[in-house]
Amino acid sequence: MSIKTANNKEFEEFLKKLSREYLLYAPVLNEKDDKVVFEPINEDNISKITLGCQADVPLKECILPYNEKLSIEENPDKKIVILGARACDIEAVRVIDDVFLDEPVDPYYQDRRDKTIIIGYSCAKMEPTCFCDTVGIDPVEHDSAQAYLYKEGEKYFLKVMDEELESLFTSLPGGNEEELAELIDNRRNGMADSNFEIDLPVPVPEAAAFAASCWEKIAEKCLGCGVCTYYCPTCYCFGFFWQDKDGEDKWRAWDSCMFSLYTKHASGHNPRNSKDKRYRQRVMHKFSYHPENYGKLACVGCGRCIKRCPVHLDIRSALKLVENELKEEGGK
Amino acid sequence: MKKDKMKPNKAEIIEVIQETGSNLNVKTYRVKFIDEDVRNSFSFRPGQFMMVTVFGKGEAPFGFASSPTQEYVELSIKETGRVTSAMHNLAEGDIIGIRGPYGNGFPVERAEGKNLVFIGGGIGIAPLRSLINYVLDESKRDQFGNVQMLHAFRSPEDALFKYDHAMWENSPDTVVKYTIDNPCDDWEHCVGFPHTLLASELDCELPDALFFTCGPPIMIKFITEELKKMGIEKKNIITTLEMRMSCGFGKCGRCNIGHYYVCKDGPVFTFEQLNEMPSEY
Repeated sequence: MSIKTANNKEFEEFLKKLSREYLLYAPVLNEKDDKVVFEPINEDNISKITLGCQADVPLKECILPYNEKLSIEENPDKKIVILGARACDIEAVRVIDDVFLDEPVDPYYQDRRDKTIIIGYSCAKMEPTCFCDTVGIDPVEHDSAQAYLYKEGEKYFLKVMDEELESLFTSLPGGNEEELAELIDNRRNGMADSNFEIDLPVPVPEAAAFAASCWEKIAEKCLGCGVCTYYCPTCYCFGFFWQDKDGEDKWRAWDSCMFSLYTKHASGHNPRNSKDKRYRQRVMHKFSYHPENYGKLACVGCGRCIKRCPVHLDIRSALKLVENELKEEGGK
Repeated sequence: MKKDKMKPNKAEIIEVIQETGSNLNVKTYRVKFIDEDVRNSFSFRPGQFMMVTVFGKGEAPFGFASSPTQEYVELSIKETGRVTSAMHNLAEGDIIGIRGPYGNGFPVERAEGKNLVFIGGGIGIAPLRSLINYVLDESKRDQFGNVQMLHAFRSPEDALFKYDHAMWENSPDTVVKYTIDNPCDDWEHCVGFPHTLLASELDCELPDALFFTCGPPIMIKFITEELKKMGIEKKNIITTLEMRMSCGFGKCGRCNIGHYYVCKDGPVFTFEQLNEMPSEY
């Protein structure tokens, strides 16, 4: 492990170097729609890198594009560096890894993952929709990034966790380990909790939570637009499609369990034929099914589904209602 | 198999068998992989399934209708949706894509030495046939006990696999019954829904028996209720489920029932397992 430091100018030079040698993704303010999204960095947009707030769109697009032709040759040759990933989004990559790197491995995903270096970014404050602490994530630091970036005022620190990456950072001066440790401590101590507590076992008990009667009420105003799944850093479901007439080139695109066609059989039968069943699927997948299969939660508490929902559905309220109902049942 | 598990291997349709009349359009396709290495290395277990591509139209999961002991892979397809309709427009010599096999398959090892009962309805007989023809294959027959079958069709012209019937009926220690929904002329077999015939037509009290059933959901429901009434244990009743799928091996996320994925934890489940699962299928 080594510590590096940089001022604004040094940091910009470092980014320029990275963007020349790697396919560098970082959160960029897109002025057209006023959204911060991970984009490939070049000379033109390097000045628009925006680290100070949570990216509106998670970084999953860099490793699992919203659509892609199934061909490893189409993948970038260069190594990929994702800079500015917050702890929630880093944990989300681990969730997607669980599925796509599990046997049988997804070759397209694996190829991109093998080429990907993640440089995390330490959060300084929780947004009102954040609840990563509730799901056991430390917003200040996540240990599965290869390096971590901390910004305090005009000063940057970089902690290089993966020794093989030292060469990436040689242009930067060394930093003071104690100074960084103090910064991390101050952040951990100074950051307010999310104020969202949930008292449910993990995995959430499948049979009881599935059978809960509150889902209908929870999903009453759901429009089935799927925006929660597109903005979700862990939602990875996909479908195939073909663009050429002879069907030789196979593509895949994100799909969404919020859509009624998602599970509809050719016969017309649909196991999830109403929105409460579909909303239940999304929540149960994150808090019950994925934890049951892979041993960890598939919700990272980023709160994007809460921010983006056009009818203000809040997954925290949904969980609370389930919790209350299970407790009532248990108490009977 | 190729490393690239999401792309199909090309296979040529070498024979198309029209199974039924026009009211319930089922065809069976005998196919042969174009690539010799794939052809030689391809193996599967009864009850597994494959993802079939009709190029330019789409892809969908189908159970193997043939036994691995047969020379060619066969799939039986009922014209229902986009892919199956496109499939029905294909003829001998046309090329389709096949990838797989996927899923757990029937518990063949568990069935060894046991008495076996098959109850199938309509196109649901296709996946059962994969195991039936395996069990009745001359090289395997002595590994299994008594075999009983009850095949249900809407009408005589909806009967599937007629060309197998003589082989089934002539197999040692094998009883084969057929039933149709309503009486009609020249029909010498049973009439009525299969659950009403279990007690009279089959010997369900044979010790150490396994029951395999597949057909319309409503049929499966009544069959299992009837079997349970007879005191058959839920772990000895086995079925195979269908579900909409894209990938076939646990990535695309759409075929789950609770934390189980039909594609990789199934499609074959015992009723003991299904009872533990949320009823969302």
